[in-house]
Amino acid sequence: MSERGQKLPSDVRVGVYVCHCGVNIAAVVDVRQVAQLARGLPGVVVARDYNYMCSDPGQELIRQDIRDYALNRIVVASCSPHLHEETFRHAAAAGGLNPYLVHMVNIREHVSWVHPDRERATEKACELVRAAVRRVVWHEPLEQARVSIHPDVLVVGGGIAGIHAALTLANAGKRVYLVERQPSIGGHMAMFDKTFPTLDCAACILTPKMSAVQAHPNITLWTLAEVTRVEGYVGNYEVEITRWPRYVREDLCSGCLKCIEACVYKDARFPDEFNLGLSKRKPIYLPFPQAVPQVPVIDPATCIQFKSGKCKKTCVEACGERGAIDLQAVPKVERVRVGSVILATGFQTFDPRRMPEYGYGIYPNVYTSLEVERLVNASGPTGGEIVLRDGRRPQSVGIIHCVGSRDRRHNPWCSRVCCMYSLKLAHLIRERTGAEVFNFYIDMRTPGKGFEEFYQRLLEEGVHFIRGRVAGVSDWALDPSEEGKLVLRVEDTLLGIVRRIPVDMVVLAVGLEPRSDAEELRRLFRVSCSAEGFFLERHPKLAPVSTFAEGVFVAGCCQGPKDIPDTVAQAGAAAAEALALIDRGSIEQEPNTAYVLADHCSACRTCVSLCPYSAISIVGGDGRPHAEINPALCKGCGTCVAACPSGSIRQHLFEDEQIVAEIEGILAGVAGG
Amino acid sequence: MAVTRTLRYQREADPEWTEWLRRQPGCEAFWECLQCGTCSGACPLSIYMDFTPRRVIALVREGFYRDALSCQTIWLCASCYACAVHCPRGIRITDLMYTLKREAIRRKVHPKGLPTPVLAQEFYRMVQRRGRNSEFWLVLRMALKSDPWALVRLARSGWRLLRAGRLSMRTEQIRQADQLRTMFAAAREGR
Repeated sequence: MSERGQKLPSDVRVGVYVCHCGVNIAAVVDVRQVAQLARGLPGVVVARDYNYMCSDPGQELIRQDIRDYALNRIVVASCSPHLHEETFRHAAAAGGLNPYLVHMVNIREHVSWVHPDRERATEKACELVRAAVRRVVWHEPLEQARVSIHPDVLVVGGGIAGIHAALTLANAGKRVYLVERQPSIGGHMAMFDKTFPTLDCAACILTPKMSAVQAHPNITLWTLAEVTRVEGYVGNYEVEITRWPRYVREDLCSGCLKCIEACVYKDARFPDEFNLGLSKRKPIYLPFPQAVPQVPVIDPATCIQFKSGKCKKTCVEACGERGAIDLQAVPKVERVRVGSVILATGFQTFDPRRMPEYGYGIYPNVYTSLEVERLVNASGPTGGEIVLRDGRRPQSVGIIHCVGSRDRRHNPWCSRVCCMYSLKLAHLIRERTGAEVFNFYIDMRTPGKGFEEFYQRLLEEGVHFIRGRVAGVSDWALDPSEEGKLVLRVEDTLLGIVRRIPVDMVVLAVGLEPRSDAEELRRLFRVSCSAEGFFLERHPKLAPVSTFAEGVFVAGCCQGPKDIPDTVAQAGAAAAEALALIDRGSIEQEPNTAYVLADHCSACRTCVSLCPYSAISIVGGDGRPHAEINPALCKGCGTCVAACPSGSIRQHLFEDEQIVAEIEGILAGVAGG
Repeated sequence: MAVTRTLRYQREADPEWTEWLRRQPGCEAFWECLQCGTCSGACPLSIYMDFTPRRVIALVREGFYRDALSCQTIWLCASCYACAVHCPRGIRITDLMYTLKREAIRRKVHPKGLPTPVLAQEFYRMVQRRGRNSEFWLVLRMALKSDPWALVRLARSGWRLLRAGRLSMRTEQIRQADQLRTMFAAAREGR
């Protein structure tokens, strides 16, 4: 860094360009007047206004002026730098200027789109341009740093999104680490019986992919594992994964399941998590028949050996010489280096206990849709029989849509899949039991390939569709026909009449919401969440699988509710983005990083603990210790710059001179009236 | 049976009135109504109403204020707040009903022969004048102005209540009732 004087550099030649953005800016801001003001500012050689600065002729204007007027600083007053900073830096570079000698002023989002008054908006635009001209004078040429991209990829979450992303990458020859928290991969999709609207069997289309993951030489699958620590930056992440013990060794187990049979508990007596407590399992169990890996798991919370240490250990006996059961197993920590990460951690369903008016947890015959998915599933608790908790077959079923969704008190969003899965369940229930099925909906949302046709099919099948949100479920009979039934009170809004409908079974179409611990993962990977808690994509339209953490991509319902086709498409997109990054081999990093003036630093360590990216360390131990910032890790957030008590940390593109000059520029306008 | 025409011309709608209503306290959110009918389903009295609460909201949103103000619904509302508690959009339907009641009285379009609007007005008048309400005179005035035959029907139980000391013909008057009237006047102006 060169020594900076306090007086204005003498050889500065600034070009100022004011964009009309069609009518977006010009309708509110008098762009001519802004350009005219700029012409009078010290250091400005040329100032123009132009219809679309981002267009080719607009960029050419900058290139030509750099040559004609020997410009060495550029100010563009237009839209947000988020959109076109890159464009104008390229234009300057094409004209032979260092791209960091360009500064943008946002007179669209910050001025014309938010101020109705033309005169005052113009005044504000003028002040911002004056400030930018004063600032850009102090800009210095900067160089981009390059970092290499490690070709391995981490996929977090083994649902259909994670499985598809992992397989896509592995098939492209990349090494993939797939981390799943549950004892088996498969996620929610493995719990479903059929998938809408084609009604193909979920297991039939999912299990081949699950087996492929298991067999793929490029995929390292860790189940019962969680990411516990993430360090590094795009291209060079160091991830720590904790593998919780299964107590059955995957490398030795043959999947004969004799241990389960031999367990001292002759009967299964603990709630089966995979069947949502609708059936029982033993302390040693296989989550579901097609589980991958096909290895039993011991639950230490229910196993006698773990609770009292006094079990006959018949499971170990049954395993015999193979010796796959390892009751001494301890958590294992794996450390891997990856270049990019795909987050595919999925969703959780809304807990309907939060809406007591629907009686979930109060009346045994009120079920969530996910529970009914298990009931209709051939490998489920009843072998696919739809029976109530007391063994009766329901003769009438009410399906309530939008439970917890589209509701300000709970989740304001539409969960997107509930209408379609409710139609699917209505069809399956009617097909298997012949019951009369009532769907209670607010709006029927079937926008997808073959979705509307499926709705049509259900109408033809004679399923009732009542437009109205159920106000309450009760077992209070007002009429002999309602004795022993659950009564739904609802306004049939198309009739304008309040109805009471008695049913044997109520299905709550619970919405999708972010996992309750998504926030922890968000912190680990330094991605952002939207207000509702789903992982935030970098741009809702143009960067739908990227996040604000470079090299970290999202897929599936952790980004927002979506159905299986959309999830798979998004997982493919995330894999493609990761591949694009890997194939480039390296990327350029923004030079807006902080740096330490070593002579001034007293190594007080204030910055070290504050840095959110762990980019700062203390070096020069024995001689003259001082802080040092790793530019590859630094994101340019400026926290250390502001916190340093001796002012010995500075930041490129945010140098004190630049910021002070900018402030003076704005205040000059205020003072000058 | 007579055939009636129900065609509604758009000129009968008054969007300005809807805008006015939206600015009234408690009425801000009705524009967000989903028309899901939870209010009607939750309402214990909706089964007696000519329009369900949901339909009242549909009417005011579209500016058909004559129907909304002259219907029985707003006078049957018992202010139990079940609708407001269950509304997924947080619409304060009870507050909306109160605003419609006040507006209906102001415009004198409330259904004739229905005792509740009379009760509301008589109650207000009595409290404004004396600071206390006297049930005997309140019921008498309500019946005389809405359905005098009700007095005949109620005479027996009224007589019993009087004898048991549960109903009194005495009127009470608070001190400095003029201060109360000043407060009422201030509240009216604040509207």
